[in-house]
Amino acid sequence: MSDVVSEVASEEGTDLASEPVAERVDTVRTDPVPVEESVLTIARFDLWYGSFQALHDITLTVPAKQVTALIGASGSGKSTLLRSINRMNDLVEGVRVSGQITYGDVELYDHGVDPVEVRRRIGMVFQKPNPFPKSIYQNVAFGPRLTGYRGNMDALVERALRAAALWDEVSDKLNQSGLSLSGGQQQRLCIARALASGPSVVLMDEPTSALDPIATDKIERLIHDLKRDYTVVIVTHNMQQAGRVSDRTAFMHLGKLIEEGPTDQIFTNPKHEMTERYVSGHFG
Amino acid sequence: MGAVLLACAALTILTTLTVVVVLASQTIAFFADPAVTLWEFVSARRWTPLFADQHFGIAPLLAGTFMVTVIALLVGVPMGLASAVYLSEFAGPRTRRIATGVLEVLAGIPTVVLGYFALLFVTPFLQRFIPGLNLFNALSAGLVMGFMILPTVSSISTDAMQAVPKSLREAAYGLGSTKLELVLKVVLPASLSGIAAAVILALSRAVGETMIVSLAAGQRPLLTLDPRETIATMTSFIVQAATGDQPAGSLASRALYAVAATLFFITLLLNLLSQAVVRRFRERYE
Amino acid sequence: MSTAERPSGGGLRDEGRGAVLARTRRRARNERLFRWLTGLPVVLAMTLLAALLYDVITDSYSWQVVEPQGSAASFGFLDGFAWFDTWERVVTLELRAGGASDAEIEEILTDPETRRIFAARHRVELMFSVDGRPWRWLVSSSRDDRVLDVPLFEGFRREAELLAGLESGQVLVLNPWLDLSFFAKNASRTPTMAGLAAALVGSLLVIGLVLVIAVPIAIGTAIFLEEYAPETRLARIVEVNLNNLAGVPSIVYGILGLSVFVRGLQLGAVVLAAALTLSLLVVPVIVVAAREALKAVPDTLRQAAYGLGATRWQVVSGTVLPNAVSGITTGVILAVARALGETAPLLLVGAAVFVPRLPDGPLSYYTVLPIQIYGWVGENDVEFTHVASAAIVVLLGVLAILYAAAFLVRRRFRRNW
Repeated sequence: MSDVVSEVASEEGTDLASEPVAERVDTVRTDPVPVEESVLTIARFDLWYGSFQALHDITLTVPAKQVTALIGASGSGKSTLLRSINRMNDLVEGVRVSGQITYGDVELYDHGVDPVEVRRRIGMVFQKPNPFPKSIYQNVAFGPRLTGYRGNMDALVERALRAAALWDEVSDKLNQSGLSLSGGQQQRLCIARALASGPSVVLMDEPTSALDPIATDKIERLIHDLKRDYTVVIVTHNMQQAGRVSDRTAFMHLGKLIEEGPTDQIFTNPKHEMTERYVSGHFG
Repeated sequence: MGAVLLACAALTILTTLTVVVVLASQTIAFFADPAVTLWEFVSARRWTPLFADQHFGIAPLLAGTFMVTVIALLVGVPMGLASAVYLSEFAGPRTRRIATGVLEVLAGIPTVVLGYFALLFVTPFLQRFIPGLNLFNALSAGLVMGFMILPTVSSISTDAMQAVPKSLREAAYGLGSTKLELVLKVVLPASLSGIAAAVILALSRAVGETMIVSLAAGQRPLLTLDPRETIATMTSFIVQAATGDQPAGSLASRALYAVAATLFFITLLLNLLSQAVVRRFRERYE
Repeated sequence: MSTAERPSGGGLRDEGRGAVLARTRRRARNERLFRWLTGLPVVLAMTLLAALLYDVITDSYSWQVVEPQGSAASFGFLDGFAWFDTWERVVTLELRAGGASDAEIEEILTDPETRRIFAARHRVELMFSVDGRPWRWLVSSSRDDRVLDVPLFEGFRREAELLAGLESGQVLVLNPWLDLSFFAKNASRTPTMAGLAAALVGSLLVIGLVLVIAVPIAIGTAIFLEEYAPETRLARIVEVNLNNLAGVPSIVYGILGLSVFVRGLQLGAVVLAAALTLSLLVVPVIVVAAREALKAVPDTLRQAAYGLGATRWQVVSGTVLPNAVSGITTGVILAVARALGETAPLLLVGAAVFVPRLPDGPLSYYTVLPIQIYGWVGENDVEFTHVASAAIVVLLGVLAILYAAAFLVRRRFRRNW
């Protein structure tokens, strides 16, 4: 393998990790997701921060009730892509997009679509657990209260906490501050908080990178359970995690989607050489 | 050299001690006089130490201070908070610099000038709309004082709000919060202790403020809650007594110290309360 | 959570486009309203400042109907009006038109004492002539009767009416209360003869003494807290103490000054007592600024100096202080600005509201600018209001210069470590 690498390097004469990929690369796809199984479709999506183009011509279909992982080196645009799905990038100054992201039958970047409505229907969990300095109950109830939920809040909170595998640990202390929990518990609280609003897609931006291995393990199992009811898109820089947790994987590099397909195939038999270099640890 | 520096620092402690000693001794002498009782001081309704017929109930002064302070808070706190929200959530860097500059200029206006403004501009203006508004009244003084405390409330609250970490804001936006909801449900509750400290501090400044009330509110002790009336506050009485010609050591002169002691005591309590609030309820975000 | 308990599909479908759009529009409107509401206080503050400035500047000029008494000039028409004429020329022309001999005029202009008395009893105003010619300078006397006083813009509006209503012997003038002579005159019972000279000198003396007293003490305290005994129990006590002092109302400092300096040390109501009192007030302010400046000096510089074998004082005086100078200077300038505007403590310490002559040293009676303003506002006389406005313009002007100086110092000497 290293011979191939050094051969390529000497041929091109450039540093491997920053090797620019040619414009309009056709993404290598394996077993593309059929339309009837998809819940989220990203079509020819570009994004600019000012004059810098962070995402190039991304086309990706996310299947329902499966876990899709976005992998790639730092700066590959995977977080940017994730945040584009729930229009979190709208909050950044000077952001410009083109292309479309379709969720169900709604085109999210349509003129009349309110990002607030989008974010109430697509949940997000962040890299560092960020519960509000409020009680556990209030944290989980926050989302439903925003949408004016009038039903039985206690029951909703319990359901969400159960779905996040946290209920047993906190059921007797719902009034305590969310910050009194351990790191792993806080992250599960954030997951419960995201689930409480009733989204069908949950986005996770490196959810375990700030956690210890035991907490990480619990959350990976949780993700596995979640896909019974939810579609999960997870960004991770930890390839082993992607291998453990996801059904499909998409590999990105310098803002372009290089290859995507079933996780097994990506890791054991990648078709694009860039993918191969990444998954065998040559850069990243 | 270290000894010299120590002496400098010790001087500040000496200042506090002297204040306490002076106030305490004169106040004790005040109450030692047979004409005055502590009971009368706290319960009587008339304050006329400078007249021949002397009464020593501090209630009218407290009422005056209270009224002006409440009006000032009603004006200054909401505006200060709104301004803090604007500065920490909405303003771009350039706007923030201009706005902060305006508030700093406002904070730098000497209070005697503000008193002039209250008496000669605000009162005539208000007299057109409010029947029965005296030339010297608590309302104008309170309104202008509200603007005086605005910068204090705003700057301390802005610091408190900006201390709320970005990760919390992201969490709220991620759940589909609007900016309004973010401010009301996340930022304000999370910065509450800092805001409380700001309000208490502003309150303390309003209580101790002298020139605006001396010029615009009057120097007539009156037990009332009608802001259109001419009143006296603790501070305006102190000025009145000091610029009059009571012989030192007379009961009237000691009354000045008694009122000053009350004032000092109140502001000291407020300042300690403010520090305690910050210490006790300082938010932890991690 | 089972599927049945969640909203179906993409959720955006449940409600119907109409409801969502309506909510979006309402939300956008609320956000806009919220943004404007929170920006309102700053706008109101700007309005207040603008109103204050406008009021104070325009009130420094007023129209008056003057009825000259006694030996005032004849108001015969004079040639050669110029907008920027010298005081000497106007006085010469006026006196000559009134029949004074050249010798008399000479004496008034050259002998300092006569000149001073003349200047104290007369002022130069802009007169609106009754016989068709619009403007000329007029020398009026303090004994002239001021029949009517009209605010600046109202006078412009009613000019014709006022001119028509003049009785014989009366003239309409535009009185520039804020002019150069304002700085040269002392306080007076007559508004037209009142000026800021005594107050300015008094302020200068007091502030000068305050700097001499307070700055060393404050810097010393700051050095003590930052360099000599940080984190010790004593330092904590001093710190807490300073915090409390900063929160004490300024009038209490006045009480302290009254008891200790005026009565206790028996200094009386003099400049020194005022300076000592204000120093106590100003020290906590400077200490804060000085501490910030000292803290900003990077520790590496200190380590380097210690490493070369310097004693603590040598490190502080040779390395730390020079690098903290700009921060300390800014703090001192701002403290001066604060002290300049303080009125309450000085009222208590006996600053006179009416001082007819210049203070001549630390042990003389005195007045300061804000006290003078307080006195003039309290006179309850419309003419004295004009004088007060003029004084406020001066005070605000001085403060503006001080703040500009502080800003420039901070910017010019911003260090890059």
